[in-house]
Amino acid sequence: MSDRYDGSQPDLERELARYLAERRLTRRTLLELIANVGAVAALAPIVAACTGAAASASPSQVSTATPIPPSSAPSATPVATATPQPTPVPTPESELFIYNWDGYIGDKTQSDFEAKYGIKVKYDKFPDASTQITKIRSDLKGGGYDLTYPASTDIGPLSRDGVISALDHSLLPNLKNLGPTWVDPDYDKGNKFSVPNYWWTTGIAWNPAKVKEDITSWASLWDPRYTGKLGMLDDLQEVFAAGGFRLSLPANTTQDTDLDAILALLKTQKPLLRKYTQDDIGDFTGGQLWMTQAWSGDWVQMTYDPGSANAKYVIPSEGAVRGSDTMVVLSGAKHPIAAHLWIDFNLDAKVSAANSNFIGYMGPNAAAQAFIDPAILGNPNLNPDAGVYSGLAELVTLEGTDLSKYTSRWIELTS
Amino acid sequence: MDRAHELAPAVGGRARPFRARLTGGLLVLPGVGWLLAFFLAPLLIIFVVSFGSNDTTGHVVLNDLGFRNYIEATKPEFLPAFANSVRYSFLTTILSLAIGYPIAFWISRHGGRHKILLLILVMLPFWTSYLIRTYAWMIILRDNGVANSILMGLGITSDPIPFLNTDFSVVLGMTYGFLPFAILPLYVSIDRLDDELVKAGRDLYASGRGVFLHVVLPLTMPGIIAASILTFIPAMGDYVTPDLLGGAQTSTIAKVVQVLFTSGRDWPYGSALGFMLMVVTLGGTLLAIRALRQETFG
Amino acid sequence: MKTGGNRWLTAFAIAIYIFLFAPIVVLIIFSFNISRRNFVWLGFTTDWYPKLFANRDLLDALSITLQVAVIAVIASTVIGSLLGLALARMRFRGMGASEVLVLLPMVTPEIIMGISLLIFFSQLFGQNGSLGQIAIAHITFCISYVAVVVRARARNMDPHLEDAARDLGSSSLGAFWHVTLPLIAPAVGAGAMLAFALSFDDLVVTSFNAGVGSTTLPIFIYSSIKFGVTPQINAISTIIVAVVAVALFIGWRLGTFGGEESRRVDTEADALV
Repeated sequence: MSDRYDGSQPDLERELARYLAERRLTRRTLLELIANVGAVAALAPIVAACTGAAASASPSQVSTATPIPPSSAPSATPVATATPQPTPVPTPESELFIYNWDGYIGDKTQSDFEAKYGIKVKYDKFPDASTQITKIRSDLKGGGYDLTYPASTDIGPLSRDGVISALDHSLLPNLKNLGPTWVDPDYDKGNKFSVPNYWWTTGIAWNPAKVKEDITSWASLWDPRYTGKLGMLDDLQEVFAAGGFRLSLPANTTQDTDLDAILALLKTQKPLLRKYTQDDIGDFTGGQLWMTQAWSGDWVQMTYDPGSANAKYVIPSEGAVRGSDTMVVLSGAKHPIAAHLWIDFNLDAKVSAANSNFIGYMGPNAAAQAFIDPAILGNPNLNPDAGVYSGLAELVTLEGTDLSKYTSRWIELTS
Repeated sequence: MDRAHELAPAVGGRARPFRARLTGGLLVLPGVGWLLAFFLAPLLIIFVVSFGSNDTTGHVVLNDLGFRNYIEATKPEFLPAFANSVRYSFLTTILSLAIGYPIAFWISRHGGRHKILLLILVMLPFWTSYLIRTYAWMIILRDNGVANSILMGLGITSDPIPFLNTDFSVVLGMTYGFLPFAILPLYVSIDRLDDELVKAGRDLYASGRGVFLHVVLPLTMPGIIAASILTFIPAMGDYVTPDLLGGAQTSTIAKVVQVLFTSGRDWPYGSALGFMLMVVTLGGTLLAIRALRQETFG
Repeated sequence: MKTGGNRWLTAFAIAIYIFLFAPIVVLIIFSFNISRRNFVWLGFTTDWYPKLFANRDLLDALSITLQVAVIAVIASTVIGSLLGLALARMRFRGMGASEVLVLLPMVTPEIIMGISLLIFFSQLFGQNGSLGQIAIAHITFCISYVAVVVRARARNMDPHLEDAARDLGSSSLGAFWHVTLPLIAPAVGAGAMLAFALSFDDLVVTSFNAGVGSTTLPIFIYSSIKFGVTPQINAISTIIVAVVAVALFIGWRLGTFGGEESRRVDTEADALV
């Protein structure tokens, strides 16, 4: 996947705005600051960013902004006063506003966090990614929230548009727990803006009591023997990717001829389908779907239901999508320290494992693997080995005319 | 009708036009004012957006306003979805009237002292959450749900009947959801019905059917019209119910609008299609009202 | 009405009540389900009720929803009733346009109304969603429904009744208070009940106007559906039903429901003409 955000030429105005927001300074205070400590010290991070040292800007931002006299900076700018040497964590705020999916963290994660830090967490939920993105983009600063969990493919546009802030890695000592593939991901080099959360694959889940064969191919979802019992996800990119795999086309193609071919194939499937489902778990366990396109973690949840404890999942041979999501701090966050603490807390090996065990998705945390349920860890479909993993496709965020190509065909397909 | 008389609802002789106009203005102003400020003004913003377009990064730009979105919105590909929306809304309205009228009638004429109690009892289910009620219908109608368990347990069928994700489940869910919107205005209108008129009607028309058709029905027509409006119009815009209870074959135009705004991130196009939906809904409703009024009152 | 017809009608009415309450019964039963996911009956438990009272987020959502509903009902009933009355009985310039204006919020797809208010509040006022913003949105669409219901009833009303009252020496306000209002009272009540149901259940418009700390119950529930609605939500709905049912029962016992009352007002009013 190509990295759409090139951090080497940031917009100066935007960098300044972000810099001020992170430190909760006004321009006036900044000028006072410059008067006190000199332009170089006060503006060093911006200068560093502009000279293309984007990837390493994070630690340098922190260290050069150290000498701020207390009189000219608001008391709650601990980001600026943190230094690279191990120091006690700066005083966090008393609240934290999180915006996330339902049931996305372990049962005890929130209460354990609140007990450990004494920070009150307000945990609002959204039903789908579109609602999430619409909300955080409504004022381009996060819609009032401090922290959210966007898909990795959203990081590029979100950072470009200034919706999320760069992370202060000095507040995230547990970053060392990340597995080697996650330290420098394609979508966000050096984890400048985000920390990986979960990753998953999208394959096929089926009920062996009703589908008495081993499924290995996407073609099974076009099998007329199961008409009225088949499902696909209500997600235009996932559905088009599945069609593309059958035709050996690239997963994120924007060629009109490719898309037309995929559309024609999908149209042959539609009469056989029961539903383009948003709730694969519910429709599967309810008995409406015997075989469906599904996310790997959702399959684990399906097996928690006694009626479908034997459900099976496979990564089809033609190819599959892998995805991941992240934790980010929003640029309008009123409680940035608390947000960083939350991220660090979830990077702890045991907490990360608890999250994974609860939801069935694998995390990026190498240290956590020691605590993850072996059933999840050992399942090659949930936790494919590196060779299989790198062969999977990752979806990119579509925008503008590219997105219209998909949307218009999706509407033609589904309406 | 004498216009001056209508403008001055005060008694004949002591015509107080200014006072009356003041009263009229006071009655209307809060409502109209509120709607202008918090409905029309925001809507106008979206209306302007519908003439705009998305740039390559998906942001709305208004520098090249034109009708392209509206032309796109009238593509024939949308016809099946429009047809579905009209079909579901129409069926929902008819069913709501067919169910709502008898029960409103029964409560009004046979409720006696307990009329209000019975009416509130009808409304009681609708003070729980709509989503939970819809979810409960899913529990009932699922392939391994309550209905199928009973049917298979009684030996009526051996395979579960696919109730969910069909036209049936969508219309059932929508009718259930909009029933109070039909029952309440129907009840209000039926309750107003004067017994004396009905008795007089029975003198004129020998059969109960005659009385109903020529006396009761025309007199309760305002309630029927109100009930139809309150059911048909929101039904056209409802995408949540077909989303939850419907399937691959039950797409509605409201859902298309929602897709354009959310996954499609195309606010201009979505707005244009939304306005088209409004025009169709409003136009159809006004035509139907006019037809109903003419038929009843000549 | 012939007695035969009576029996059929009553049977039909009972069938309708069963239809109306079937999902309610299901949801009450499943509030006692051991299974977390509301799918399959696994066994009986009352655990969800105490858990519900410990669930701060859920209770907050319920509280916000009720607050918004009360505000929306009061405001929209007052404004909408006045509007409906005016549209039914008065002729004034711009009446046709007003009639269309009243219908427009109903015709507008909720997603458009929601997004238009989102843009309006965030771009013009820098608001990120709040209880007040939700309340404004709710009042806006509730006004239409109340107005339509009141107008239907007021149309049926004899305009000369108010004239007659004024003839007898009553002031305009007095005529309104003692004659018009009681006559349209059932419609106003019906409008209020509708407005409450609309506001309590609203999802789409609300989700675009909610912010931190102003999540409503429908948003809370809809965000949960993906992972299975826990029986706690069934429990809360059961409690709501129980509370209203108890209130109804008390009211019934006290005999405060004057079904006969309102009829008497009507016939007396008619006798005046």
